[in-house]
Amino acid sequence: MMRKILKNEWTVKIGSAVIALAAFCMLWQAVTVFTGMGDFLPGPAETFAEFFRRFVKPYGKAVLPMHMWSSLRRILIGYTVASAVAIVLGIVMGTYRIADAIVMPLFNIIRPIPPVAWIPLAILWFGIGDASKYFLVFLATFLSVLQNAYAGARSADPVLVGAARMLGANDGFIFRTITLPCAVPYIFSGLQNGLTAAWGQVVASEMIRSSAGVGWIIIRGMDNNDILQELVGILTIGIIGFILAASMRGVEAKLCRWTTRGK
Amino acid sequence: MQMDNTGKIEVMIQCSHVEKTFFTRMTSTPVIRDLDLKVRKNEFVVLFGPGQCGKTTVLNVMAGLETATSGTVTVNGKEVSTPGPDRGFVYQTTALFPWYTVMQNVEYGPRARGMSKKERREKAQYYIDLVGLQGFEDKFPNQLSGGMQQRVGIARAYCNEPSVLFMDEPFGHLDAQTRYLMQEEIIRIWEKEKRTVVFVTNNIEEAVYLADRVVVLTNCPTSVKKEYQIDLPRPRNYTDDRFLELRTEIQSIVDKTL
Repeated sequence: MMRKILKNEWTVKIGSAVIALAAFCMLWQAVTVFTGMGDFLPGPAETFAEFFRRFVKPYGKAVLPMHMWSSLRRILIGYTVASAVAIVLGIVMGTYRIADAIVMPLFNIIRPIPPVAWIPLAILWFGIGDASKYFLVFLATFLSVLQNAYAGARSADPVLVGAARMLGANDGFIFRTITLPCAVPYIFSGLQNGLTAAWGQVVASEMIRSSAGVGWIIIRGMDNNDILQELVGILTIGIIGFILAASMRGVEAKLCRWTTRGK
Repeated sequence: MQMDNTGKIEVMIQCSHVEKTFFTRMTSTPVIRDLDLKVRKNEFVVLFGPGQCGKTTVLNVMAGLETATSGTVTVNGKEVSTPGPDRGFVYQTTALFPWYTVMQNVEYGPRARGMSKKERREKAQYYIDLVGLQGFEDKFPNQLSGGMQQRVGIARAYCNEPSVLFMDEPFGHLDAQTRYLMQEEIIRIWEKEKRTVVFVTNNIEEAVYLADRVVVLTNCPTSVKKEYQIDLPRPRNYTDDRFLELRTEIQSIVDKTL
């Protein structure tokens, strides 16, 4: 009986996730109750209750979902535009040596700069509103996606390209049917990294200058010495980040059936 | 033996004085030296030689995947310099497109050349049936066994209806049982759909089992050492006296390598 349940991969996965989460919450609760940390660390029950209470009770001018939306909107706009540009540019660089030669040196100088280093300049150039956040998210996403799209476009197996040519395919057809599919798994790993970077960037920039968003919730919590508010902000970041990454994996699994499907 | 209507032997592939040298900045490595070879229409020729002797390079040059340093290769009267759909290629490891299903792999050639979907599906289905893969049309390559993958490779090469087929040790990675089965299969397919075939192997048994003619190549830099007409009727028997005799004789003249 037990063995049969354990055979089902999903039962095992979800079961272990629930157990791990429960254990974590118990540890968390134990720390707040049995150590002196209680004053600085509200327990899990209190934090989750506050999380849901904030769906109706506003932080500042807006309720929690509105703050989530502020951050998400900044990400979605900056991330989408950056991904589109980076994928196209990365593939062009991977395909044409001249584009590679022109862009790569620039890219190699900009890449090691952590995107947060641009925050003061971004505010100076684009103001304290959303425009500077779009720019910062764009930058964080762009660097990560470009590198992977570039590697992906160069990963086309020469044997497969030869096979396609042997079968009568011309350059354009090879690009569509060989180069692009070869690049897709790379692009998705770039999109996944880009999402993490974008999410980190939006929170960081909201913590420095903003009037809404999950980063703002945390920094305002610090200003007001409201630990519960900081924890709710952190919890929100975790939950949204998890959902975004999971949906990205879903899309990837659909598009890359040939790499994920076993025998 | 195939004759055209004037009674002459119809030559499908002709290699004249083919030389191939690989250059790096510091070194030059000659791989083919003055190779002459004629292959008749619908003949099954096996290139047999010691390991690393350059068999694959000979095949690549004939197929147009690599260009000869000097000398000429003609297929069906046309000089070969680039890959092209009048020649089919079956690879050593399966060079199937992993993101395409069996059907999409097999129809790739006709699709690349702009054939309508209905027409190319029909054609692909015919060759999928021919290699015995009916029912597996919608599987991805990584869902198939090694032998089945090679069947897809054969169907894909056939589906373009090339005048010649090049096969580069296509069964080299299969286990012994599957290998015997595939040797029978390739002869069955070839007898049903006759093509000119140039087949590379380093397995003497495979060479004698398959070939109309075995061309023995020398060590690297390679050229033709000797040719054997295999006059055994098909289907052949691996333990037949004449089979073993030919096998021993050919094996005895092959250059030894480490």
